[in-house]
Amino acid sequence: MPQHRMALCKDHFLEWVPEQTARFIKKYWMFGPEERILVAVSGGKDSLSLWDILHRLGYHADGLYLCLGIDGGINYSTRSQQLTEKFACERGLTLHVVNVQEQTGRTIPQWNEINLRGREKPCSLCGLVKRHEMNRVARDLGYDVLATGHNLDDEASVLFGNTLNWSSDFLLRQGPVLAETPGLARKVKPLCRFYEREMTAYALLRGIEYIYEECPYAAGASSIYYKELLNQLENHRPGAKLAFYLKFLEARKSGFFAEREGVEDVELHPCLHCGQPTSAPELCSFCRMIKVGQVE
Amino acid sequence: MVEFCAMVKIILRDKEYLVHPGMDLLAALKKCEILPESVIATRQGEIITEDEILHDGETVRLVAVISGG
Repeated sequence: MPQHRMALCKDHFLEWVPEQTARFIKKYWMFGPEERILVAVSGGKDSLSLWDILHRLGYHADGLYLCLGIDGGINYSTRSQQLTEKFACERGLTLHVVNVQEQTGRTIPQWNEINLRGREKPCSLCGLVKRHEMNRVARDLGYDVLATGHNLDDEASVLFGNTLNWSSDFLLRQGPVLAETPGLARKVKPLCRFYEREMTAYALLRGIEYIYEECPYAAGASSIYYKELLNQLENHRPGAKLAFYLKFLEARKSGFFAEREGVEDVELHPCLHCGQPTSAPELCSFCRMIKVGQVE
Repeated sequence: MVEFCAMVKIILRDKEYLVHPGMDLLAALKKCEILPESVIATRQGEIITEDEILHDGETVRLVAVISGG
């Protein structure tokens, strides 16, 4: 690991990753030992590794799997659900499964057909559904915090995209912790300082069976392109991705990014249907989508 | 006398590359124009590091690390 100027054997690497995770959880005040954590698991290497690590560290961490109904010719959702259930079963962990089709009446590809007539990829729509459902389950089941498996490459890629577009509002909010607000669970990213390559190594060395195939809709995503660009940079300058992210966090902490003057905070109020916070006058984006779907 | 040696096969997803034995993994990845940061190499199910020398007839499987969308 040239970025850390060290090399570890298998046993020490498998100790190092959970130790570092525990350090990041404390450093960024993510959660305490008594809090109940809901881990959003997709069946991929990062989220399953995160669940494994939190379990090993002794936290009360349950899983949430959202079945999105994506097939893509490879039974993507079915296979990732099977792997997640196997993981939970083998370790005696509690897994909540939400089937999006049962919950909303349609799968993600079917919602995409209605909302966008299938003209575009369903990624933003999928993100909307996932955020809503993760928050709903966390709130309804009384979890203190929602943990996701975002790694350093995910964070550096988002940061790169937000910087390219000078998305100041997004830059202000990006970080390892998004504090809870009325109706919204606290969100944390305990793996945000691990390279994607390190998390892959952890999953392989730990023997975690994960879905190797990409989401069929991920091909051509700008986030993947940014990751490839950042990997080229990392290849020439080991540690560049970590420095990019950490220097950003330092800059943000020291007030480098500020709320724009004269721009008032958007007022949030509960959605009339689901009760989740929204800036829209009546229904939140998720409930508006469902309403439109019921008419179609 | 001419000595023949088997090549080293490198597999990444549905692509196969052939390199000469005797070079280390880092050199082989460079030869195949694969960024080391984007893969983890395994040989007979075990992870190998970039300074490992590749031998005649071996197969190295690369695990792509990039995910998301």
